[in-house]
Amino acid sequence: MGLLGVMVVPLFVATWRSSLFGLSCQGFLIAWAAYRLSPELHSVETWLTLVDLVVVRGIAAPLLLYRLLLSQNRAARHDIIAPNLLSWTVALGLVLAAFNLSAALVPVDGDERALISVATAAVLLSFLVLASQSTAFGQVVGALRLENGIALFELGGGRHHGTLVTHIGQIAIVAGTLGLYVWLLRGFSESTSIPPATTQDEPTL
Amino acid sequence: MSPIDLIAVPALAALAVAVGAGRARATLLLVGAALVTTALAIVEVLSAPIAQASLAGLVRVDATSRLFLAVVNPIFLGISTYIWHRVRTTPALHEGIQRLVGLALVFLAATNALLIANHLVALWILLELTALTATPMIVRARSEAARRAAFRYLLFSTVGLGLVALGFACLHRGMEAAGLPPTFLLDRLFALRPLPHDTWTKLGLSLALLGIGTKLGLAPMYSWLPETYDEAPPAVAALLGAVQFNAALVVLFRLVQVYRADNAALVAGQLLAMGLVSMVVSTVSIIATRNIKRLIAYASINHAGVIAIGLGVGGSASYGLLLYVLSNAFIKAILFLTAGKIMAHYRTNDTRVISGLIKDLPYSGVFLMVGTIALLGFPPFGSFLGELLILSALVGSGRMLTFAAFCALITMTFVATGRTVFPMIWGPAKEKHEWPRQTLPAALPKLTFLVALVVLGIYIPPAFNALIQQVAASLEGP
Repeated sequence: MGLLGVMVVPLFVATWRSSLFGLSCQGFLIAWAAYRLSPELHSVETWLTLVDLVVVRGIAAPLLLYRLLLSQNRAARHDIIAPNLLSWTVALGLVLAAFNLSAALVPVDGDERALISVATAAVLLSFLVLASQSTAFGQVVGALRLENGIALFELGGGRHHGTLVTHIGQIAIVAGTLGLYVWLLRGFSESTSIPPATTQDEPTL
Repeated sequence: MSPIDLIAVPALAALAVAVGAGRARATLLLVGAALVTTALAIVEVLSAPIAQASLAGLVRVDATSRLFLAVVNPIFLGISTYIWHRVRTTPALHEGIQRLVGLALVFLAATNALLIANHLVALWILLELTALTATPMIVRARSEAARRAAFRYLLFSTVGLGLVALGFACLHRGMEAAGLPPTFLLDRLFALRPLPHDTWTKLGLSLALLGIGTKLGLAPMYSWLPETYDEAPPAVAALLGAVQFNAALVVLFRLVQVYRADNAALVAGQLLAMGLVSMVVSTVSIIATRNIKRLIAYASINHAGVIAIGLGVGGSASYGLLLYVLSNAFIKAILFLTAGKIMAHYRTNDTRVISGLIKDLPYSGVFLMVGTIALLGFPPFGSFLGELLILSALVGSGRMLTFAAFCALITMTFVATGRTVFPMIWGPAKEKHEWPRQTLPAALPKLTFLVALVVLGIYIPPAFNALIQQVAASLEGP
């Protein structure tokens, strides 16, 4: 329920700080779920998963974006989905659809079905965010929500199918993607209007 | 020689650029590394095939690897030569070239690693790595539009490859549910028969196909492609269209090779639907656009649609599909590099302004003409035979509606492209220009691609033909 809460609540609280706080909470709660599923902490893979979830997704991603937006003096209000009854109904409808889909995928009621339900809801809500956002920051939040949804989905076993090399590679890709998003966002002007048309005055390769 | 050298050479060259050892002659280092990897790739193709996994099972060179190594590396060499020549003759391009060269070398290393990878998750990681290295190359200084295009490209890559990762997680669950040992090592997956075709597997496969389709520019998530190809420097657009496209295609081929035998209806249905919709949207866009790079970009979506249809039909279409894929790689490289030359001279990408190319820039005029003719699938090019075999397979498999739609869309594309491109080539020159003539180094890469394109259509060396046939057979499953 906690995980579902941090997936849904930030959609209705219209500030960028709450979006980032929500992302951070998602990272920590998924890490907690991962720990609950394999509490032994004997394998390198488990430690790597925890580092990815806590350090990269729980701390680094929200912190880097927070510092960036703070440096750009961004206005506090930021709607992750459109603030109207239709969007809220769609969001809640997606959560219900996720639970129904999970019941079809995992016939036996229990922890596994709950995990799949929340992961599916997280993925569907991330698509809602991506579809309703026109700002670059909002789209990055949507992409990071999608990454968190996938991480939650993989907790049931999908993450441990590879070798140590592929596991490290996956974490490096998430970190690299985050770094590139921050780099690109830093270069954008404050304006969210349509960019000027390309000029062919400067030579290009 | 080890296949690892194909990764090590560009990686070491990138390191040399990064630490400053190769900064002064960065573009020469780029050409040198590309030359070495091309030679290594040719040796790999000519040597006896050993489909034996190595490096903890992560590396395995099979027919698919060898075929695409032999295509991707020479194309990269051609693009590198173009970059070297452009930088040598245009001093303004010296700024930031080391960064671009370093990224391009990592891009090449990741692409070669992908082509010889034996693990589905490793393929995913390496494809994402090519996207991460390509993103900064799209960004141009002082261009907000290019930065936004790079952002959009990265966003769609993240979402597309996120869907693939989600698909893999579902496929993993499918294997667990069927009591099979979960693995993503390709050689083990080929040995595991039958693979499950339960809900998890179908969902996973469908998501993975949709995600890879996004990287290929297939509908429904294709909208990043025209903007990215338009805003990226032409050399980078050529890298994306002719190199990364083939890397993404290899990931799709791997999925089809593993899962088609047990999930034929799903693979065929989804690929045919994505292919047809892509052809429809690209045809409409080709009719509407007046931007030369966007025109090539929409043609790329169209080609991706044809490839998806060919792959969906399978059977006798597979050989034609491969001919089409190989021709397509050379066509895109020729057209993007030619577009770069044209735009550099006319300072515009508006097709209504460019006219009389055959008089102003004879080399570029000829390249654009031949590239367009090959693009439209005329003989004697490989794309003609490829399309013909795909159409024949559509009729053979009884998909008459798809066949009719395919023919109608191809005809419309032909008319729309010809109407836009041919006046650019043969139209009257609107202004008196005194252009410097093109030198051989500038034309050499495109000339080589052109020769490869004609060879693919007229005479394919027996060893290479055997390789294509092996890959075509592998697309039907292990």
